[in-house]
Amino acid sequence: MIFFKKYIQIAKTSWANGFVYRLNFVMWRIRNVIQLLTIYFLWFAVSSNQDKIFSYTQASILTYVLGSSIIRAMVLSSRSIDAQGEIASGDLSNHLVKPINYFIYWASRDMSDKLLNILFAIFEITLLIVVIRPPIQFQTNLALIALFAGSVVLAAILFFIFSFIISMTTFWYYEYNGWAQRYLSFVILEALAGGLFPLDILPPTFAKIAIVLPTAYFIYFPMQIYLGRINPTQIVVGYAVMLFWIVALYYFGQMLWKKGLKVYGAYGR
Amino acid sequence: MSDPVIQVVHLKKYYSVHEKEPGLAGSIKSLFSRKYHDVKAVDDISFEIGEGELVGFIGPNGAGKTTTLKCLSGLLYPTDGKVEVLGFAPWDRKPEFQKQFALVMGQKNQLWWDLPPMETFILNKEIYEVPEKQYKETLDKLVKLLDVKDILKIQVRKLSLGQRMKCELIAALLHNPKVLFLDEPTIGLDVVMQKVMRDFIKQYNRQFKSTIMLTSHYMGDVKELCRRVIIIDKGEILFDGKLQDVIDRFARNKILTIVFSKDIDQRKLAELGEVRHYQFPEARMTVRRDQAAEKAAELLEKFPVADLVIEEPPIDAIIREVFTGKMKKKTKE
Repeated sequence: MIFFKKYIQIAKTSWANGFVYRLNFVMWRIRNVIQLLTIYFLWFAVSSNQDKIFSYTQASILTYVLGSSIIRAMVLSSRSIDAQGEIASGDLSNHLVKPINYFIYWASRDMSDKLLNILFAIFEITLLIVVIRPPIQFQTNLALIALFAGSVVLAAILFFIFSFIISMTTFWYYEYNGWAQRYLSFVILEALAGGLFPLDILPPTFAKIAIVLPTAYFIYFPMQIYLGRINPTQIVVGYAVMLFWIVALYYFGQMLWKKGLKVYGAYGR
Repeated sequence: MSDPVIQVVHLKKYYSVHEKEPGLAGSIKSLFSRKYHDVKAVDDISFEIGEGELVGFIGPNGAGKTTTLKCLSGLLYPTDGKVEVLGFAPWDRKPEFQKQFALVMGQKNQLWWDLPPMETFILNKEIYEVPEKQYKETLDKLVKLLDVKDILKIQVRKLSLGQRMKCELIAALLHNPKVLFLDEPTIGLDVVMQKVMRDFIKQYNRQFKSTIMLTSHYMGDVKELCRRVIIIDKGEILFDGKLQDVIDRFARNKILTIVFSKDIDQRKLAELGEVRHYQFPEARMTVRRDQAAEKAAELLEKFPVADLVIEEPPIDAIIREVFTGKMKKKTKE
């Protein structure tokens, strides 16, 4: 229990820290809303006046867009990208001398950050639904909802590990605090996580490749479950691929961490 | 000396760094091929520190002081050699070890920048699993010693450097570390604040019987605090022993300050030693250490002396002498 106590305190402190810059937080949420509206109206325009677009009805594609916005808040929101700055600047030293696990430290901070973001995302989307009244597809199958929820949790874990691996490249490539790699990862995420468009609208060959990459499981896979677009076999296979990536990337990350600490110079004096 | 708390045996830490030719052409060249060479930050040093000792670790910039402290804290893997602190190998980073030591770096902060210091204290209490009662007592004591009661609820970014440094110390000491590494704890502080810090470190060492290793550019810190010093330069230990021995060994001169009752002939004065300064009625001169008493007697005899003081040269000057090659071989006391 005492083990968790320290990480709960870390989450609390991180939460308090997040509230210090109210303007920053408000801006960040406004950015999300504008992004959401842009994608929403794009898909609304494209899907109007036709029965189906890429095998999606207007209701399902718009549900996809709104849903992926909530999943973004749960999966992709992250404080832990700051880890790369700490590695590059040497501030990592502050944590290394303390009896804490650096990963759990950031996981705790991420969780408090996600909680805050989820609350706001739900609020914003409810507001949008009330104001715009878009056609929405509600899932009533409890089993699918449970599987959807489970996949979101796994997605958050997978993304955390993925993101930490990007951060850890900073041990070797510390130019601009590792932002070069990070921006590349952002672009890859935009293209391959399914936040802008569902991946199955890609040409079949690309879609087949995209679906085995870890990125597909951040947003696309959970939304496919929610919309009931994939059959039980595909769900099981999807879960298996996801677990495989979690385990594989976890061990890869551990290896990077051990090697990284050997080259870590604890710079900045 | 009881069992050593810190034991360093043939420690080496080499860095591989790449060289870049100056200018744009050099930058482009370094894109394709990089020349690497080893920098010997620490090159085969050994020492032991016993419980409760307060040791000064001095040397010019880039001498290897901070690198050594980082090795002792488990931040860096040594290239070679053995390091033990409280019986642990620091880079295993075992929680049982980490709960017993602290590292304070004058130019790095652990306080949460946007929150009041109190938040960091509470967080550290949980991280180090300090029992509530002990936490309260320690915090009370430290807050009183450093006189920071009024600033505990103010955002760290709004504190002055001195106030921040005090809070950094508190954050680092809440778990009552047995071993404390202080890297330039007084850097950038004004003289008053430097004094406060020194007094505090001294008192802390006495009260908690903790073992302290301190690096500093300010000889004042070392002179005031440490009986023992380790002098390091270019990754090697030049001297390890009592501060007084550094003075005895390396100060070749003493300084005489004389006040005359009548104006005198400066040339005659110069026969006795090197006159640094003369403006009636005061003169300052240096004489060889072993002749100081004799020369002073001669002065009193030959000149109209109103007052005479014999002093050691300032410690800074002595240390400078150590570094500028008056001694290059390691001496162990």
